[in-house]
Amino acid sequence: MAKKIKQIAIYGKGGIGKSTTTSNISAALSVAGYKVMQFGCDPKSDSTNTLRGGEYIPTVLDTLRDKQIVRAHDVIFEGFNGIYCVEAGGPAPGVGCAGRGIITSVSLLKQQKVFEELDLDYVIYDVLGDVVCGGFAVPVREGIAEHVFTVTSADFMAIYAANNLFKGIHKYSTEGGALLGGVIANSINAPYAKDIVDDFVARTHTQVMEYVPRSVSVTQAELQGKTTIEADPDSNQAKVYKSLAQKIINHTESKVPAPMETSELRQWAAEWGKQLVALESGLIAPAAAGNL
Amino acid sequence: MSKVIERPRYVCALGGAIGTIQSLPRAIPILHSSSGCGGNLAGALSGASGYNGGNYCGGQALPSSNVSERDIVFGGEGRLQEQIENTLKVMDGDLYFVVTGCMVEMIGDNVHAVTKRFKGEKLPVLAAETVSFKGNSYYGYELVLETLFRDFVEPAPVKDAGTVNLWGVVPMQDVFWKGNLGVLKSLLKKLGYETNTFFGQGETLENLKNSGKASLNIVVSDAYGIEAAKVFEEVHGVPYITVPLPIGDHGTSRFLRTVGKALGVDEIKVEKLIQEERKAYYPYLERLADVYNDLDFQRYATVVGDPNYTQAVTRFLSDDIGWLPELVVITDILGEEQKERVLASFGEYESGLRPEIVFDEDASSVVGYINRHWPQNQGQKYHKGFAPGVIIGSVMERDTAEQFKVPLLPVTYPISNRVVLNRAYVGYSGGLTLAEDVLSLVVAHR
Ligand SMILES: Nc1ncnc2c1ncn2[C@@H]1O[C@H](COP(=O)(O)OP(=O)(O)OP(=O)(O)O)[C@@H](O)[C@H]1O
Ligand code: SF4
Ligand code: SF4
Ligand SMILES: [Mg+2]
Repeated sequence: MAKKIKQIAIYGKGGIGKSTTTSNISAALSVAGYKVMQFGCDPKSDSTNTLRGGEYIPTVLDTLRDKQIVRAHDVIFEGFNGIYCVEAGGPAPGVGCAGRGIITSVSLLKQQKVFEELDLDYVIYDVLGDVVCGGFAVPVREGIAEHVFTVTSADFMAIYAANNLFKGIHKYSTEGGALLGGVIANSINAPYAKDIVDDFVARTHTQVMEYVPRSVSVTQAELQGKTTIEADPDSNQAKVYKSLAQKIINHTESKVPAPMETSELRQWAAEWGKQLVALESGLIAPAAAGNL
Repeated sequence: MSKVIERPRYVCALGGAIGTIQSLPRAIPILHSSSGCGGNLAGALSGASGYNGGNYCGGQALPSSNVSERDIVFGGEGRLQEQIENTLKVMDGDLYFVVTGCMVEMIGDNVHAVTKRFKGEKLPVLAAETVSFKGNSYYGYELVLETLFRDFVEPAPVKDAGTVNLWGVVPMQDVFWKGNLGVLKSLLKKLGYETNTFFGQGETLENLKNSGKASLNIVVSDAYGIEAAKVFEEVHGVPYITVPLPIGDHGTSRFLRTVGKALGVDEIKVEKLIQEERKAYYPYLERLADVYNDLDFQRYATVVGDPNYTQAVTRFLSDDIGWLPELVVITDILGEEQKERVLASFGEYESGLRPEIVFDEDASSVVGYINRHWPQNQGQKYHKGFAPGVIIGSVMERDTAEQFKVPLLPVTYPISNRVVLNRAYVGYSGGLTLAEDVLSLVVAHR
């Protein structure tokens, strides 16, 4: 009897820390004894770099460009602790259809039944910034991933992107698409940052999986081409990622989020903006700021 | 969600473009699309246009980049370049014309960037983005003409008062286009003008290239080719007129007067020509006068199809042979402005007819309009519904005709139950041909 593979998609605004977080989750899951594949769905194809000593691997689409037929095993590379790394790749910026590229790559591996063959426990898709079109919604659609996690900081643009993603999930939820597991709050250092994300998840009926602080250990590890889990396993930051991984292991039921309407979101952001300005100009006593 | 059109009477923009290019002498279409487009469209075009399969490099023999998934993901420009190079090598033409399918338009392939690389070669390679999610056959026709006028027709600062261009009769969509263009050309010859019809018998690419020197563009349509005429005027400074497609004496005499006036031809000369044509025309119809009355050839008629034909057929039936074409269903998608122009072409009947005109794209709606216009017999002695009636439309009216047990003459696209070569319905001679065809239906059972 085949076991159920847990398939997870990580989305979020460009540059918010998706690949860093995903790689650390993969590493933590792998260290905990699970068989993991990380699937980069981004034409930049840098998702798995920190699992492979900083090197780029040949992508599914590069391989497809050169040969008519691609064997899945030609595009799967082992990284840290035996994690299977795959990069979908894509066309050069400004030509072709990157969205179709993602569809092609994902279905290529799916067709060849490699997930089952490799006896995987986890497949984690690290998907490009905003869901610009149908192609990038593929991991959410068609029941490829079951759980979606969104990486966001407390910046409004990142929250807008998260809210947009919620809209996408909401739309596909009735058609058997993936549901939302929760939000991974990244780069949360200032006290109000946590409050903003908390308020956002409360309004959109979801949860925070973990608060990940911004830390130089991440930068240092990245410079060595490693995840924090690999480079600095005993650090506090590594503990946070391990805790996040454990919560993902325990997570079973994802839900349909309640995205805010654009006007509602704008108003929400404006109110927070006013409070932040008040905080900056000292109108609110620093002691009270923690409650914002 | 947009409205669904049941059984449309046209193909996509790419199809319209292919039909147009393959009707140009020595022009070679190059499709930048997946392989399905060319195959499907060749079948749809030929089977629906009286089996006009296209000649050399037409029909099923179309060069195509046949893009596959790889080209979609990485962009298909490289594949297109290769296809153009190969086509130039192996296909013998004087003009190559790249047209695009939906998929390459979705991913934004830049076909102009590719064809630019062939600038300065011996033979011209043109391109039009025939975006099929933006329009149908007629849009494709316009785009091809616009491109030809911008990029192929040479500037001609000095105009030739004796030359005109004529279009608006859409190859393939007007199943009788070739014959029709020939008739119009010879009519204008009788007025003293050389006419470029681009697609008709005996036309050459050379004529097209030099068409910038014409003194007038005559668009024989209130719906098609007008955008292209605007481009021609903008680029080459040649004014245009639109004039309805003429069938029979009443239509054609109006046509000659309109064109004559626009060209500044002496009115006496125009009237003289009309008299001469009538002298040849009416004796034929007069031969039928006795039998027309004795056997009662008069019929009600429902006219279904594109704006070009419906107005022409209606005027012909009403004023030339005395029928009662009381209902007209126009089946093309038209803008408000187009509709207004088209409606205006359904007036001033000699017979005093005031036809009911409806715009509806669906084939199956025709039944409803007929029943509404001619209510069925409800016990009254003289109310017999649409009888005795005839439908002039396309092959899509077959079910409707069977339902009302009336004959059908297909003259508008699609026509799959006739083979059409050089038959023409326009002009005086075409009027006689149409008279033969419709009246033969009335005696077909004898
Ligand atoms: N918690 C963190 N602490 C310190 N640096 C971080 C943290 N998270 C992300 N970063 C840094 O931010 C930068 C961007 O992160 P990353 O590449 O993971 O983002 P991304 O969302 O995958 O971006 P893209 O959308 O471009 O793929 C990297 O240099 C990374 O090291
Ligand atoms: S928007 Fe998406 S589907 Fe469209 S061409 Fe770009 S990547 Fe492809
Ligand atoms: S895919 Fe587009 S271009 Fe091709 S046949 Fe269909 S509508 Fe026409
Ligand atoms: Mg990334």
